[in-house]
Amino acid sequence: MSLQDELKAQIVKRLPELDVVIGWGQGYDSLHRTPLFITSEADVDKLVFDPLCVHNLSTYLTRYGSAKRIGVVVKGCDSRSVVELLQEKLIHRDKVMVFGLPCEGVADLGKVKRALAAKDLDMGRVRAASFADGDLVVTVSGQEIRLPMAEVQADKCGRCRYHNAVIHDEFAGQPITEAAPDTYADVAAFEEQTLEERMEFWREQMERCVRCYACRNACPLCVCRDYCIGQSREPNWVSQRDGLEEKFFFQMIHATHLAGRCTECGECERACPVDIPLLLLKRKLGKEILELFDYRAGTDPDAKPPLLNFKVQEDTINERGW
Amino acid sequence: MTTLPNPYIPEIATIIETIQETPAIKTFRVTLNTPERMKSFRYEPGQVGQLSVFGVGEATFVINSPPTRMDYLQFSVMAAGEVTSRLHSLKAGDQIGVRAPLGNAFPYESMKGKNVVFVGGGIGMAPLRTLLLFMLDNRKDYGDISLLYGARSPEDMAFRYDLPDWTTRKDMKTVLTIDREAPGWEHTVGLIPNVLLDMNPSPENTVAVTCGPPIMIKFTLQALKKLGFPDESIYTTLEKRMKCGVGICGRCNIGTKYVCMDGPVFTYAELKKLPSEL
Amino acid sequence: MDALFLADDKLSAWLGELAAARRVLVPVREREAVVFRPYAAGVTPVLDRQANVPPKASVFPASEALMSFRYTKNPENLGQVAVEVHETIDAPPTVVFGGRPCDARGFLVFDRVYDTPKIQDTAYKKRRENTLFVTLACDDPQNTCFCNSIGSSPYDATGSDVLLTPVSGGYLVECASERGKELVESKLLSDGNALREEAKTVHASALSALGPAWNPSPAKAKLIEKFEDMGFWEDVSAKCISCGACTYLCPTCYCFNVTDERTGMKGERIRTWDTCMSYLFTLEASGHNPRPTKAHRLKNRVGHKFSYYPEIHGGPIACCGCGRCISLCPVSVDIREIVRLSIERPTAKPENK
Repeated sequence: MSLQDELKAQIVKRLPELDVVIGWGQGYDSLHRTPLFITSEADVDKLVFDPLCVHNLSTYLTRYGSAKRIGVVVKGCDSRSVVELLQEKLIHRDKVMVFGLPCEGVADLGKVKRALAAKDLDMGRVRAASFADGDLVVTVSGQEIRLPMAEVQADKCGRCRYHNAVIHDEFAGQPITEAAPDTYADVAAFEEQTLEERMEFWREQMERCVRCYACRNACPLCVCRDYCIGQSREPNWVSQRDGLEEKFFFQMIHATHLAGRCTECGECERACPVDIPLLLLKRKLGKEILELFDYRAGTDPDAKPPLLNFKVQEDTINERGW
Repeated sequence: MTTLPNPYIPEIATIIETIQETPAIKTFRVTLNTPERMKSFRYEPGQVGQLSVFGVGEATFVINSPPTRMDYLQFSVMAAGEVTSRLHSLKAGDQIGVRAPLGNAFPYESMKGKNVVFVGGGIGMAPLRTLLLFMLDNRKDYGDISLLYGARSPEDMAFRYDLPDWTTRKDMKTVLTIDREAPGWEHTVGLIPNVLLDMNPSPENTVAVTCGPPIMIKFTLQALKKLGFPDESIYTTLEKRMKCGVGICGRCNIGTKYVCMDGPVFTYAELKKLPSEL
Repeated sequence: MDALFLADDKLSAWLGELAAARRVLVPVREREAVVFRPYAAGVTPVLDRQANVPPKASVFPASEALMSFRYTKNPENLGQVAVEVHETIDAPPTVVFGGRPCDARGFLVFDRVYDTPKIQDTAYKKRRENTLFVTLACDDPQNTCFCNSIGSSPYDATGSDVLLTPVSGGYLVECASERGKELVESKLLSDGNALREEAKTVHASALSALGPAWNPSPAKAKLIEKFEDMGFWEDVSAKCISCGACTYLCPTCYCFNVTDERTGMKGERIRTWDTCMSYLFTLEASGHNPRPTKAHRLKNRVGHKFSYYPEIHGGPIACCGCGRCISLCPVSVDIREIVRLSIERPTAKPENK
């Protein structure tokens, strides 16, 4: 039985206990999958799982009242958000059923777009897409193009330590045994630039921000949403202007509030309609948290996130030695 | 090509008097700083204005003094949000911005020759006050005028300075009511819809005008229907979050109707045709 | 009027000429996003695909001051504070170069609301008068394009001042309005009449690439019919994450917020893009919200575009078919599908009505 069929069977089996199961279905074209809300067995047929299932569906878990029992299909990275939400008691374990998957990596449609643009082709015109022998095969403007997955895979997948869902009630397929190290080489490389260069980089990136808050709303852990201080008047911390200052300020608040909570799923960056590399900000904080607290968010449901925890003397911060 | 004035620029007005109506409601009497503008200022009963506290923002209030008394424009403000709270801190002599008149008005022309029943609850008395005073100032144009005005308690009753006149005039009938008995209260006790049924006004050649908290409006409409008032003869006013006040910014619509332009005054018949998004 | 021809290698020179007297906004690439930026020598416009962000800000900036205000204390009596306000309008002469027909047509939807016999939005009107559109016809539409279904086409010049069509070696340049004439008075443009036929072929092939058009007009009545059918709206909005990408990137979405910003004794009243997808959009000071869920809000967005707006303005749909709300939605909410379902799916009657 294929992984996808096994997952479908598991959902059919557990659906009677649940109000809805959130998985992925076919999107508006062959390159896009879209969140699928399964409430009947007929819906299960529409379920898809392949490297185009990019969305972290755990972002929906905090959008239902506590009365509902929600099933959610998660890849390894997505499952860490579920764990973090449980750690912070933002969801209740008995209200969530986790359908875990092993994941070999997802495509980064930004990279697909770039790869096609390099051949003077437009991703928006792809008419067919499939996977064969480790390649993403697309038909676009009358040509068949093979894009090796290794080239169009999301960066987060290349450094993934958690290919398998770290929490699950059901698990489909065979667990993947390998795990890549994450040395935060990308952050280190970025930080080799001077402060001025880095500032200039971010200025240029933030300039494009339209303040649509897709980054915030796609994030499974940015849970204030409707009451966000980026938009509130009471308190009025950020004006509604579209200046760099406001955009940068919001992103800084967003990132710092996620320090030690962010699982680096990259949904903020994927959701951004103007391709601002927001994950880099989150990665920087992830690196600091790892170095300071030896902590990776969303890996242990019983652990207390370091910034939600007060210790007189942190194990890894030698304050008195300063 | 005609050029119309910038609809977003308020006129500067000075508060000449404030009245603490109830613990939550404060009234402002303002005059436009440009005397000629004050002299030429025209509006109709039911129309609203946006008051600005510059640096805080704007909020919408009905002009609750009638166009027949142009010594000042009166607005009554219930403290609820950012702008209203700041308005409450203002005093006589302070300057604010006014964008008015906005919205539609009560059809006071077509009400001529008819009896009028006013049913107001709490701050909902404000729009009724404009029309009531306008009609009293044009008394011969209208038939019997009756007013039912209710509040939770005597302290919650606004426009107390109007009440001696309203309760003693021979050319109108006034019933005041509060929800529960209170020491020293000499008027009726009871919920507005029940008191209205007791008053039993005839729907014959009569229009009803009602405004108040949503729950009161709901039951008052039911009572008016029980009394036999046709939907077309019942008027009320709606409130929505507004920004531009001129039908552009897009937030006060209920389907195709914009409360800021098509309202705030609607008949019950019109309300029934609107999709339910109140 | 005669058709003209612009050779590929004269594009920069022409942009340079246009930019001499005006702000010229061109689509440029930043990472994988295409956004409109002022043209300057050395800037390479991206003309082979739709920009992520439409040129909406050219006429309707994401943020602008509606007015400034200043408080002044009376030195004789410090308790007495006067306030004055000043209209602030910034409307530089502008050419939007390289937008698509849908981008230019978006402003037609604005015009019916912002410039009426009763109300004129002064700043909008001034900028509208000062902004010209040199639009590029689409030769190869994207999967999310549906301009043909809302009564337009990949070469619809309505709302544009000059229409460019890609032909071999350059562009056919055609005036689309009286105002466009001043833009094409350039020695860089040569006679292009011989290329008209080729341009027509480009147009026809783009139109056929869009596939068959569907008719959204029955949605006008159906969306009203479905107003109370919250089951429908909960279903179609289930995946929506309530961000504002769809509305901010929409050439026709014109809603705004107004907020005051004060620093010391002076400040500004600013108008900023707002989105009906936000909970805060209709939240009242009392805490009551007439559109409390994303289902209510998505209903308003789709309803406004395909039902209320056409009802109020005698037909036209408040959508230009650019498809950005689909292609740039983080979760691929598809407005075409919602409109179609609103027409096809039977309406559930509410139980207690």
